[in-house]
Amino acid sequence: MATEESRKAELEAGFSVSDEEMKKWMSRAFEMAREALQSGEVPVGCLLVHGQEVVGKGRNEVNETKNATRHAEMVALDQLLDWCRRGNLDVRGVCERTVLYVTVEPCVMCAAALRLMNVPLVVYGCSNERFGGCGSVLDLSSAELPDTGTTFRCVPGHRADEAVEMLKTFYKQENPNAPKPKTRKD
Amino acid sequence: RATMEPETKRWKGSKCDDDSWVAFPVLSDEQSADVELVEAFAAPIVNRKATSRLVRELNGVYPLTGLQHVKRVRACRAEDSPHPLEVLLCLLSDVPNPADASIPSLLPAGSWEGLGEPFVVKVPARPPLTRPQFELASCRWPTTFHEDKQVTVALRGELFGPQQRALMHTFMASAVAAARAAAQLGMEAVGAAVVDPETQRIVTVGHDRRGEHPLQHAVMVCIDLVARSQGGGCYRHDRYAACRFAPTDPQPEGGAVPYICSGYDLYVTREPCVMCAMALVHSRIGRVFYGAAAADGALGTRFKIHTQKDLNHRFQVYRGVLKRQCEDLSSRG
Ligand SMILES: [Zn+2]
Ligand SMILES: [Zn+2]
Repeated sequence: MATEESRKAELEAGFSVSDEEMKKWMSRAFEMAREALQSGEVPVGCLLVHGQEVVGKGRNEVNETKNATRHAEMVALDQLLDWCRRGNLDVRGVCERTVLYVTVEPCVMCAAALRLMNVPLVVYGCSNERFGGCGSVLDLSSAELPDTGTTFRCVPGHRADEAVEMLKTFYKQENPNAPKPKTRKD
Repeated sequence: RATMEPETKRWKGSKCDDDSWVAFPVLSDEQSADVELVEAFAAPIVNRKATSRLVRELNGVYPLTGLQHVKRVRACRAEDSPHPLEVLLCLLSDVPNPADASIPSLLPAGSWEGLGEPFVVKVPARPPLTRPQFELASCRWPTTFHEDKQVTVALRGELFGPQQRALMHTFMASAVAAARAAAQLGMEAVGAAVVDPETQRIVTVGHDRRGEHPLQHAVMVCIDLVARSQGGGCYRHDRYAACRFAPTDPQPEGGAVPYICSGYDLYVTREPCVMCAMALVHSRIGRVFYGAAAADGALGTRFKIHTQKDLNHRFQVYRGVLKRQCEDLSSRG
């Protein structure tokens, strides 16, 4: 049986994503964010890609579910689980070869969830100063937590200015007078 | 409603044993840190009558910025001391050559008569935040302390009276029962209960379901059950008899509508992981009580998410409720 470490080394050697691919999927994530913004929702786009297939796609569902943990990433991870269930596939095996593309740095909770699911790579746009779990508030991507899944690699800063601009626009239109918006990308 | 009554009966058998737990607060790193010390020069005041003049002049030369909590003068501790008082001159870092500890080298020309030979002392670098810190700091040099009485009492494990403890006991017992139900289903033995402290009623009870979904930890299950109780939610829970919620009572007119977990208490058998701890921040939980610590736990063992200054919601955490029963659950794996 392969040890944790040899398994990881093997994955890293065999698992990489070209810049072109990153660009392509990130532009899909940005399209989603823009659509969300146009319909007055939190402008975050998020995709889970396995091979050449989108296996999870999410948008923030906090308001309609009254569940403050329904961030885009959590919604997308649930879709990935359904996808595995339908195809009768091993969840860990799938996750270990899945990339998350998201326009904003995942929060501490979502970053921990990505660890628990063993997703090895996260490509994101702007950082999330208030809640970010990939270095902004805490760094869950590299923290030593033996009981909390596996660490993951981050590729930050992809079209960051654009992602920030969308968030700013959203907060402005969401609540022009109140200092604190009611809906937020928590 | 009837199904939401806490399960107390099964605990009556070993009552006195069960009552041995103590709930201690999980404070921030600053509140629980050892007292940090900084080196300073002090000197005896050989002529007591010169005290107020010396203090005034020393304050002008060395104001000891950032050390407002440290008293400038202390009474001599040794009873046979030839002089009654000692005064702080400056920090070692205030002078270019701290090896030469004499009045002329430390202080500018002036009338410093009344001061004896300087010596080095260690004084507390930061204001004490808790009584234990204050007591340790005061052993070094007299220090002021703005006491938070609630924290002092909580640190002694005496914050909750017998009535409150009995309630906490039944709430955690419900979480333990749910944890046992989870273990019987082959899930991890972790259970949780959300309580409205205003009414002392259980809002939801849930348990770990990670066998079915890797992120369905007991806390995440309870957060969704609370959403269900408020007409929301996104998972089905009816397959699990031990995961349940009480629908929110109709609100009196003008009364506050329940909003996610704000104002609620969470009882959980094992210290939450970082995902669950942050989920509790997002859900605006009121307080968290846990039984057993966990190696990667994020409300005490690691991170102390509830005390992170950068986050927009902070809350109190207490550990040790029904500690032994909760630890037994964990050790059974
Ligand atoms: Zn998140
Ligand atoms: Zn957890």
